[in-house]
Amino acid sequence: MTDQHPALSLRGLAKRFDTKVAVAGVDLDVPTGSFYGLLGPNGAGKTTTLSMAVGLLRPDAGQARVLGHDVWADPVGAKGLLGVMPDGVRLFDRLSGAELLAYHGLLRGMDPAVVDQRAAELLDVLALSDAGRTLVVDYSAGMKKKIGLACALLHGPRLLVLDEPFEAVDPVSAALIRDILHRYVVGGGTVIFSSHVMEVVERLCSHVAILADGRIKRVGTLAEVRGERSLEEVFVEVVGGRTATGEELSWLSRRR
Amino acid sequence: MAVPATLTAAERPARAVSPRHFVRLKLRVLGNNFRGQGWRIALFVGGVLFGLWFAVGGFFGLAAPGLAGESRYALMTAAFGGGLLTLGWVLLPLVFFGVDETLDPARFALLPLSRRTLVTGLFAAALVSVPVLSTLLAVTGLVVTAGALGGWPAALVGLLGVLLGVLLCVAAARAVTSAFATMLRSRRVRDLAAVLLAVVAALLGPLQLLVLGAVQQADWDRLTGVARVVGWTPFGAPWTAGVEVAEGHAAAGGLKLLITVAAIGVLLLWWSRSLESAMVGAVSSGPSRDRRGTVAGAAVGQLFPRAVGWARRDRFGALVARECRYWWRDARRRANLITVAVVGIFVPVMVNLGGSRLATDGGAAFGEATANSSPVLVSLSMVFVGVLASVTLANQFGFDGSAYAANVVAGVPGRVELQARMVAFSLYVVPILGAVAVVLAVVLGRPGWLGVMAGGLLAAYGCGLAINATVSVLGAYSLPETSNPFAMNTGAGMARSLYALVSMVASAAAAVPLVVAAALLGDVWLWLALPVGLAYGLGAALLGAYLAGDALDRRQPELLAAVTPRR
Repeated sequence: MTDQHPALSLRGLAKRFDTKVAVAGVDLDVPTGSFYGLLGPNGAGKTTTLSMAVGLLRPDAGQARVLGHDVWADPVGAKGLLGVMPDGVRLFDRLSGAELLAYHGLLRGMDPAVVDQRAAELLDVLALSDAGRTLVVDYSAGMKKKIGLACALLHGPRLLVLDEPFEAVDPVSAALIRDILHRYVVGGGTVIFSSHVMEVVERLCSHVAILADGRIKRVGTLAEVRGERSLEEVFVEVVGGRTATGEELSWLSRRR
Repeated sequence: MAVPATLTAAERPARAVSPRHFVRLKLRVLGNNFRGQGWRIALFVGGVLFGLWFAVGGFFGLAAPGLAGESRYALMTAAFGGGLLTLGWVLLPLVFFGVDETLDPARFALLPLSRRTLVTGLFAAALVSVPVLSTLLAVTGLVVTAGALGGWPAALVGLLGVLLGVLLCVAAARAVTSAFATMLRSRRVRDLAAVLLAVVAALLGPLQLLVLGAVQQADWDRLTGVARVVGWTPFGAPWTAGVEVAEGHAAAGGLKLLITVAAIGVLLLWWSRSLESAMVGAVSSGPSRDRRGTVAGAAVGQLFPRAVGWARRDRFGALVARECRYWWRDARRRANLITVAVVGIFVPVMVNLGGSRLATDGGAAFGEATANSSPVLVSLSMVFVGVLASVTLANQFGFDGSAYAANVVAGVPGRVELQARMVAFSLYVVPILGAVAVVLAVVLGRPGWLGVMAGGLLAAYGCGLAINATVSVLGAYSLPETSNPFAMNTGAGMARSLYALVSMVASAAAAVPLVVAAALLGDVWLWLALPVGLAYGLGAALLGAYLAGDALDRRQPELLAAVTPRR
């Protein structure tokens, strides 16, 4: 019955910090089974939007529903269906990778035997088994992203919400993460992730939304948003970027 | 990064960086911190008022010999008052207050600054704070004393000494905390650091006995002798220089100023050494310890330490296991635990033994000494220890920082969360409390009082858990993400002291019935104390988790925002 609902549905989400409006009313429907890219320049409100969508940040106004469950009115129902990897948030990083996975699994009320089996498999696939008992705080940036993804995947969520999953990740790990996410979507899951790397979005996503200044500027399937042009062209036009004229910053040049 | 590097090579900096820049930076950070944060301003004003109160009290205390014209008290006031002040500056940041790391040394690691510039700059910035200014105001009382007794020359030397003395206090506080932070950061020597801290705290005991004993005997010659000796150590030298001149020993006054200057120099040198390792350490703490190795067992088995092996493999068990690991693996939490253990053992011993030892004029046996101690006094000191142990949890979510997001996303019910945290902390603290009771019973030679002690401890600890669970949910604040266990955010020092004070008073008040029972019930209480105290503490803790858990359910996202450090 929940399949009639979109995987994630946002209605009029808004948030202001002091005097600055971070998100000014976002409406978004993420269809079940889609691979959704949330694009935007730095400071566009991507992290704020996703945080409000998963229950990490209380919105000033608006609603967020996960497969029909209101995140704020029915948190237990919604959070059970969600897998989240926030950005700029620490993990409980004084645990080893295996300990962290066990913690997340039990926190989600999973059976210990299932946790053991899935944790071993995830560590193996993500090439983290070699780290052994190294604490997550001592992991490299790419390894931290991978263990974060493993934590979000462990309980088999219906919807994955990933904030900047490809930031600070080397090409090898990025390819691995892409692979896993692709398989997850093929298997019936839904992914929404934020990024400002056009190339990745173009390659992976079925749907795209461009967010700037706290508002959705363009939304639709990749083909609809992109049209005949490249995604990057559309993005720069929508966001209203400027290009350097060559006059300023002349002191950067060593040839005068 | 390459661009600025070539630029600095090409263009010499036009202006040198001076301590002025650091001071202005600190003031700017302080000011920005207040922007739009009414409660922060209120806390700051509260801190200023408290500082003023301390300053005025100290001023008149230290100026009293001069105002009264009593020259024979002058040296003693200066040596003991000033010495205590210096000692406080060395020890209090370690035990209670932490250091204001508004200007985190690690932030300067990439700037082309010499170590000398950096240390003098950070030192100058450290001087701009409420405690420093109120200390300065207080010790000007010594200048008044010196001036009243010895005229202008004495006042001038006194002023110089007092200024240098304040510098000495700040330098000592910075050097000691910085050195300890470095030690605690490296796991290799963490046990050594624990022992060192214990020794430092242990020194407080004999010192207190000595001072109290001396005061009690009121042997002016001997006391003056001690004051003279203290006056020649760095602890007393800056404060007594003015008095020396007033007494006609101009050379001695000058020499004491020199001693102070030398001590400041040594401390700054020590600080700059540990500062460097702090800067490098923060940038790349690196995989310094080799924890690789064969993985024993499956994931769930690894999460649970042996001490938590009894716990069910469910949400509650996972929370307890994770908290248990954290109390040991997180340097900040570990430092708190060590403090609880050390202070918890030494304070009650000193209160119960020190207070009574005086009456028996020195070398009496312990058995006779206990004549003055009573179940009421014991209960009171036990309440203090229990409350002190639990106040560690006053900002328990602050320790987690943004990592707490994991629990929010998983939707952990507030009551489960708080109960698990209480259980995990108790796994460390209850054995410590048990040791406190046993040690005190042995030292006092009263094994029969063991029940009273344990009962008082458990009741106070349980009440403290309840109060601090509430405080930790409603009054959480973020801690800086440095590896320095003593670091505090600007303004948070005041918040921390205030919340700690409130929760300690509230917890102690909640545990008062136990003390009243000890006073009223007499010998029956010796048997009843343990079961009643246990039930009282357990009931209080459960009630606290029940009520505070409800509050936590309602404000999880707000709590997460409160403990997430602003960047």
